Amino acid sequence: MTPALDREPTPPRTLFDPAFLQKLEQLSLISRRRVRGWQRGERRSTVQGRGIEFDDYRAYQPGDDYRYIDWNIVSRLDRLFVKLFSEEEDLDVHLLVDASLSMAEGTPTKLALAARLAAAIGYIGLVNLDRVSVAAFTSAPGPRLGRLRGRGRAFDLLEFLAQLAPSGETNLALSIRRHLASARGRGLLVLFSDLLDPHGYEEGLLLARRYRYQTFLVHILADDELAPRLAGDLRLVDVETHAAVEITADAEALRAYAGARDAYLRGVERFCFRHGIDYLRTASSVPAEDLVLRYLRQGGLLR
Amino acid sequence: MTLGAPAALWGLCAVPLLVALYLLRVRRREHPVSSILLWQRSAPTPAASRPTRRIERSVLLALQVLAAGALVVGLARPAIVGRGAGAQALLLVLDPSLSMRARDVVPTRFDRARAEALQAVGSLRPGQRAAVILAAPHPVVLAPLSGDRGRLRAALAAARPWDAPGDVAGAAVLAAQLAPAGDARIVVWTDGSHGPLPALPRVVYRIVGTSDDNVGITALRVVRDPQRAEALVRVENFAGSARRVPLEVRRAGTPIYRVTLALGGGESRAVAIPLALEPGAPAGPELLEARIAVPDALPEDNEAVALLDPAPLPSVLLVGPGNPYIERVLRLLPVARAARTQTVDVSTWRTFGVVILDRVDPGPLPPGNYLLIGTVPPNLPVGASGILARPTIATWDRTDPVLQFVDLDDVRIDRALALGPSGGRVLVEGQGPLLWEYTGRGIRALVLAFALQDSDLPLHVAFPVLMANSLAWLGGAAGEVPVGEAVQVPAGGEPEAALLFPGGRRLRLRATDGMFVLPPLERAGVYRLTAPSLDRRFVATIGGSHAGAIRPGAAPLPHAPSGAAAAPSEGLLTEVPLWPWLLLGAVAAAVGEWALATRRHGGEA
Repeated sequence: MTPALDREPTPPRTLFDPAFLQKLEQLSLISRRRVRGWQRGERRSTVQGRGIEFDDYRAYQPGDDYRYIDWNIVSRLDRLFVKLFSEEEDLDVHLLVDASLSMAEGTPTKLALAARLAAAIGYIGLVNLDRVSVAAFTSAPGPRLGRLRGRGRAFDLLEFLAQLAPSGETNLALSIRRHLASARGRGLLVLFSDLLDPHGYEEGLLLARRYRYQTFLVHILADDELAPRLAGDLRLVDVETHAAVEITADAEALRAYAGARDAYLRGVERFCFRHGIDYLRTASSVPAEDLVLRYLRQGGLLR
Repeated sequence: MTLGAPAALWGLCAVPLLVALYLLRVRRREHPVSSILLWQRSAPTPAASRPTRRIERSVLLALQVLAAGALVVGLARPAIVGRGAGAQALLLVLDPSLSMRARDVVPTRFDRARAEALQAVGSLRPGQRAAVILAAPHPVVLAPLSGDRGRLRAALAAARPWDAPGDVAGAAVLAAQLAPAGDARIVVWTDGSHGPLPALPRVVYRIVGTSDDNVGITALRVVRDPQRAEALVRVENFAGSARRVPLEVRRAGTPIYRVTLALGGGESRAVAIPLALEPGAPAGPELLEARIAVPDALPEDNEAVALLDPAPLPSVLLVGPGNPYIERVLRLLPVARAARTQTVDVSTWRTFGVVILDRVDPGPLPPGNYLLIGTVPPNLPVGASGILARPTIATWDRTDPVLQFVDLDDVRIDRALALGPSGGRVLVEGQGPLLWEYTGRGIRALVLAFALQDSDLPLHVAFPVLMANSLAWLGGAAGEVPVGEAVQVPAGGEPEAALLFPGGRRLRLRATDGMFVLPPLERAGVYRLTAPSLDRRFVATIGGSHAGAIRPGAAPLPHAPSGAAAAPSEGLLTEVPLWPWLLLGAVAAAVGEWALATRRHGGEA
């Protein structure tokens, strides 16, 4: 390792403390499929090559390196076989954070939790020599930070995430399409969003699947969205679209809302299950540390 | 608990108004949300499209109602009546006015007052004394200062409301005279509906009553002359709001007139109803009844009765040196009996309904009916301070029954007594009172300030009319008397008579000094006095045209600090005012509501 990589980054105080970062260093991202990387890394590649982990045998062909001939098999079978090793390559980790105005809801805000989770996952990726890209998306192109690698870029990652501010409207499909069109490597796509997209969430998630990304959806909702604490005659105004709906927030209306909420969440779960998308739903009030150390490990994103 | 100004409770009407304003959905409050996606997907509820909203658990509304309620109740000046310590005498004064029979307080104001007085008697400690005084038209002491609770309770139980306004101020003064110096408290239960109450030392007023809802018949009178007769009915709406009042008049049980009067708040209306005079009508008095069918708090004044037949002129005794004018008139008028004497012998007067004292000094007058001409007795509230030379008649009261159809224009007077009355009514006035009317102390009197020989009145047509009216009014014990007045009827030699009350009760009376002295008439209605040679009917009318006014008044501010600030030794009952705390609570609730509404960023307020 270079001295620069050994340098311990000092993350922005608003995201994590050093003790939590030390815990993150014990974790790594799980890729359920072998990925094709660009540089040598710490995970198995789809390319069999010069790694140290044995993978398979094949018959010798002219031009193969003599050093990989398994002489034990030659002595027993009198035929030439060469050993194949998995190439250990890096993983492309794409962190997409919804930074629309609706993410400013909640205590702490949904965006704050999304930023902390993205920071944790990105940090784990950097520590494990994965390539980490992070982008904030709204209906308009948002800021992005591309293909970071190594522990030394952790500060850039954390600073980027700490400075995210909500703005604009949600357009999941457009944002994912725009990001994936410019992404160079396929790999793990972690999406942080409240999915409160008037255009629907299905198209965007299907797009990620079509590009053959391993997709992990972190669905963040505020407590007030899960159980509104409203009363009286209200004109609810959407902070993104400024569209309004008039309600009388009595027990009957709250029951109707709960029904619509449950149906919506069940629909998201079914969609993700059907299309092999890992899905984790959380309230913004759940501590990020619990989510990282417990629920994301249980959900199969980290180990 | 007592209320100093119960009328302020009308302000509680503001509370439903507040709730109504809250119910009106004037404008929906805007509330920003992260997304309306899920609200759009939830089924719209019927409540969302209603023009009004439901009452929900709104802290702001609750605080508004609390503030308004506390303010209104505070303005009613509530106080807790508690038992003090140290005072040795408690004088309980009950107002028995007609208005105290109002049912806006259950069962009636008077019953509530009596219950509180009984409670006060029950809380007497050993060694403490109390007295019971009834603020009747003539205040009476029902029980003198005593520590005997049984006697005090019996006096309170025997107290009855009257059909006339009471004399609360007089009763309070009487109580103050009875109270021992220093260590006493006077508690007056009244509704204060008949004028301001005097602020007296040691007097605490308990105001009962909450409503002014009353419509009543304030007068029913038959006016007749030889050619025609008509009934005059006056109906008054004492409430503040307009009412429609159906009025029915019956003659001898047969309806003769029906009308519905529209009366604004505080308005009165007089109705004149012509009555047919039938020469062949059966003998005996006919009864005229007026009735209004209107639900109100005081039904007692919704009916009135009058006697249609003229009261027979009484027997008359003329006492004096001789007066040809009067003697001639007495021969012409249909009096029962007329006699003349020159000597002043009071014992001979009792058998006469009216005694005319002409220029003689009678000395103190015994109870009876008197026409005094050019003389003033010592026991009436009037004195003669000298002689008026050539007084001229300036005004006279044409509405008074005594001066009905009497025209005093061009009457010349050479000289007259300079009368100085205190009380009664002046009927004819020039440089001084020339004809004065008085009723009280069992005496009904008319005082003419000049001798007939000193004027040309006997030469005018007005003279026989005036004499006829005077004798009719003086002998009017058989016609109409106000409730509360003492009534005496000449016995005419009968030793015993029966008095039949309006409710059917019968009372046997014994003649005293040739007179039947009736007990004070507490109820309005027709009374009948019968003996073998006597059959007299008379109507007791509700006293005063404002007797039906039942709007509770306000207690005067305490003469000295009382209640929580008063020393416990000031009385057996102490008054702890609650209104400062209520007003403080109202202010606190209002400030809390304002703070909460401001914190909610322009919330529901």
